This record gives sequence, structure tokens and C-alpha cells, in this order.
Amino acid sequence: MPPADGSPGPLIERETGAMPEWRWPDAGSSRIPNWVYTDPELFAREEERVFAGQSWLYVCLEAEIPKPGDFKRSRLGTREIVAARDAAGEISVLVNRCAHRSAQFCSAARGSAKEFVCPYHQWTYDLSGKLLGVPFRRGFRGQGGMPADFRPEEHGLERLAVAHRHGVVFASFSRETEPLDAYLGDTMLGYFDRVFDGRELVVLGYLRQRIPSNWKLMFENIKDPYHASLLHVFLVTFGLFRLDQRSSIEMDPTGRHAVLVSRKGEQRENEATRQMRAFKSNFTLRDPRLLEPVREFPGEATVVMQTLWPNLIVQQQSNTLAMRQIVPIDASRFDLAWTFFGYADDTPEMRRRRLRQANLMGPAGLVSLDDSEAMLLSQAGIDGNDAAQCVAEMGGRAVHDEPHMVTETAIRGFYQHYRRVMGL
Amino acid sequence: MVIAAPGLDAPPALRMRLADLYCAYADALDEGELECWPDFFTEDCLYQVIPRDNFEQGLPIALIYCESRGMLADRVVAIRETALYVPRTVRHLTGNIRLREIGPDGWRLTASFALFQTMVDRPSELFLCGRYRDRVIEDRGRLRFAERVCIYDSTIVPTSLVYPV
Repeated sequence: MPPADGSPGPLIERETGAMPEWRWPDAGSSRIPNWVYTDPELFAREEERVFAGQSWLYVCLEAEIPKPGDFKRSRLGTREIVAARDAAGEISVLVNRCAHRSAQFCSAARGSAKEFVCPYHQWTYDLSGKLLGVPFRRGFRGQGGMPADFRPEEHGLERLAVAHRHGVVFASFSRETEPLDAYLGDTMLGYFDRVFDGRELVVLGYLRQRIPSNWKLMFENIKDPYHASLLHVFLVTFGLFRLDQRSSIEMDPTGRHAVLVSRKGEQRENEATRQMRAFKSNFTLRDPRLLEPVREFPGEATVVMQTLWPNLIVQQQSNTLAMRQIVPIDASRFDLAWTFFGYADDTPEMRRRRLRQANLMGPAGLVSLDDSEAMLLSQAGIDGNDAAQCVAEMGGRAVHDEPHMVTETAIRGFYQHYRRVMGL
Repeated sequence: MVIAAPGLDAPPALRMRLADLYCAYADALDEGELECWPDFFTEDCLYQVIPRDNFEQGLPIALIYCESRGMLADRVVAIRETALYVPRTVRHLTGNIRLREIGPDGWRLTASFALFQTMVDRPSELFLCGRYRDRVIEDRGRLRFAERVCIYDSTIVPTSLVYPV
């Protein structure tokens, strides 16, 4: 209806109060509606509630910024941040946005600095984000300048809450996020401390890939031990991860974090491997140095894959150690950023072993390649089929720990928590 | 064409043989003759595909890290028989091939590469570009790579690298 005063009305009548139709299937978290992987409005809500909400987001390893002045740029959710160690040795995580006109003040991927100077108008900040200087703040020859009541202390960089444990740095956009230990819970902390046992870490390098799928499919992949025995010939044939091996899947009480634990088996035909097309009893390597795992952690487990809500996978597959950070771009794309590491006290042989085994991981990994291509296929099947749903009923419909791999329980756990956070 | 750095004693016949090696290598990969690929290398070769960022920082992690022709052959078997991937074709353009050094351990060369990828029902795209750093030697009657380090410029790989660079 045109306004009564004769002024031009809006070209398109806006439907007020129209909410997107997000109705979760009645079957619960064992069914996943395809629109969770495609809807841009839902993606925006994820940014707000999952990434900018009460979550501890993985930022980096302390070993990446060891000295005062060191900084590293990264992305948490869809926002650029800079992690910096100040003169006192404290780590700050700052949104990469000048408090003045929102320009990105830091464009180097990493480096060392005494202060951050925004290149646009040279506003200057210390490494904890405090505004130190504004050029011509008092004007020039009595003209211009900032208002007399301008208070620099109110115009620092946006800072996140920071927590760290045994060399791993996390940050949160919310001040209400529970302490990191409580957030991870006892079970996850136990597995976390197994790899991060306080020893000095050494970064061995980075790999990064852009995958044309929704970011949640990455989590589902690592929470799903069922696929590994069917898809990954390398894991299955060489007994690195296979469902006839003693394994378990464990979660925190909320279901948001999970861990897959397994121990190495043999390249031998048995009742289970006969059902796996991927098992090849006569497949041998011409250069077996590729796979010569040695036990380096206490206990029987040889594989521990941890998925920590909402952006981190901690990978310990034999002797490859990596942080896989999930960086969502939009509803149908994310980056997977791999940081491979070892320990400062690694022998040269162990260092070499880690490098060789890394051939299984990353964007060209003899194992991980299968996963990135499978995610591409998942999204391709999801696109255009928003009304359909995925079934995650392997091992039942409930969410609980399991002493085996024939289950999708951790996918259900993930969605149980996701729905709570997202109000779905 | 292989251009020699000033002052190097590189007769045209040698430069022609080197150019032929580069050409045949790209051709074999683009035509899908993967089984021939390990033959371009010596038995104890080093083959790496590494992001420039790691290379420049001295960080060793690579997309592919092979220390022998056997490891290359194992990767060929993996690509042919074990890996899951969406079908694609690749095209390598190699240029600026430059012979930089002649030493007792062989010829050292650098070259630029552009690797294009074409997936079914999709336009061709630039997949990776970067630089080869090579060491070539005479090995059992032909020239082979004793070292081939493929340093790609971007940090980001589109989805996955299936075929060698």
C-alpha cells in the first residue's frame, strides 16, 4: 500500500516476520536436512552463534610466535585475526580491523613487529591492541583534529579472550565462554595432553586446501570411522585404521567434541577384511619406508583423531601430527589449513619418518585425498536437493560412546549440540 | 628452449637434450602416461611438491615427498588403483627453462610451470603455478631428474592434487 503522505513507498513490499523455514526432521539428530549445508542465512547464523559465540576457537601453536613481537595472521570463522606476542610475552588475539575506518592493518602472513600501524591513516597500536597514536589528533595550526572528548582508550583493536594449554592457543569472541579445561572436558583433555604433553613443539610446515563443500562435512568425515574402512585402501590394507581393530569412539558430555581411537592391525585377510573392497592382501610398497610407524605415545592406541568444536581436528595418525583448522568461507566452501608439527627433541630419524608419513595426509595425501574428493561429491549431491536429508543411523539413533567403529554416533552427537547452539 | 646462464659451457646439443626432457615430461603427464613418470627420475631421486611459503621458510612439509623412484612408483599405483577422485585432465605449460649451473653432480636448472586442470562439465582452470628447481644427470643412457622440487606459488590448493606436477 502506498504511504498516505504521498511519498514513494518501497519498490518491493517486505514480508515482515517471515522466518526461514528451518524445521529439523522429527527423527532427530540421526537425520540431517540438506539445507544445513546450503542455506546462506543459516551460515550467517553459524558465524554468529558457533564461531562468534561461546566457543574456544583454535588459533595457532605458541611455537609459531615464540618471541616477543612475533605475530601470525589467521581467520576464525569468517573474520581475519592477528595473534601477537607482546613485549611481556603475553599473547593477544586481535581482529584485523583498524578501529578507525575498518581497514585491515596487517597484511603480512607472519612476522615480527614492535607495533601495528594501519597503512591507511597510520593509526598506531601496541601488540595488545591498545591505541597509541592518531596522526593530527590535535589538528594542524589550530584547525581540524579529533574532538576534544576523543578518548584513545575507547578505540583500541577488538580483542578476543585467549586461553592456552601446553603450547596450543585458543581464542573466543565471547567473554562468557567457560574456562578451556571445562570446555574440553576430562575425556578430551586426556587425549589432548597425550600429544601436547608439555614438550616443546616444532612446526614442520603448512598445507592448505580449498574444498567446495560445507565446513560441517569435514567434521562429519573425521567423526565417521565407518567410511575409513571402506574408502581408504591405504589405511585398510596396511592395517592403519580398520574396523576389525580394537577401537573406540568417545565424546564429551555435550557431544560437540569427539575422538576416534584405534590401534594398528595386520595386512591379513579375515572375516572383516573380506567385506572390504578396499582391502588388498597382495598390495606391497616398492619403497616401504613410506610406512614405518613406531610407537611414540604411551598406551596401545596408534591413531587418535580428535574433533574439537568448532574449528579444530587434532591428528595423530601413526607418526604424523597435525592441527587441521577449519576455516569456513561460505555455505558451500571452506579452507582446511594443516599445520604439521613434531617435537623439539625428535631424532633425525623420527623427523624423517614424520615427513614420509605426511605423504598420506594433506591435499595430495594418499589417504586424505579420498576425503576431500568425497566431500566434493557430498556437496555436489546436496546442492539442488535441499528438501532431502542425510541418514546417520549406523550404530543406532542414540548418542553415546562406542567400543567399535561401525557407528555414526559422533555425527549424531555433533548435530545434537549444533541444534542446541543454533536453536534448530 | 633452454637458455644457459652467462659463461656456462652449454653446447646447443646439450640444451636440446635438456629441452626434450622437459617437453617429454610434461607430455607424458598430460597424456596420462603415468606409468612412464618414474622413469624420468633416477633410482635415489628426490621429488617434492612444496608450497613456496614452506620452501622459503625452510619448512620441510610437502604435498608430495618422495625419496626414491620406488616411492614414485607406489604413488602411481595409488593413483591408478587405490585413490578415490573425480575424473580430470591436466595440462602443464613449462617455460623459462634456464640452465644455471654445471657441476660434478649434474646440471642445475630452473623453469616455470603452469598447471591447468579440467574436470567434467567444468571450464578449465589454472590449478597451480610455480617453479621447478631441478638437478639433471646422465643416467643409463638418458637424462633423468636426480632432483625435482616443484615449488608452487599459492598457499591454497583447489580441493586436491591427484596427478604429479
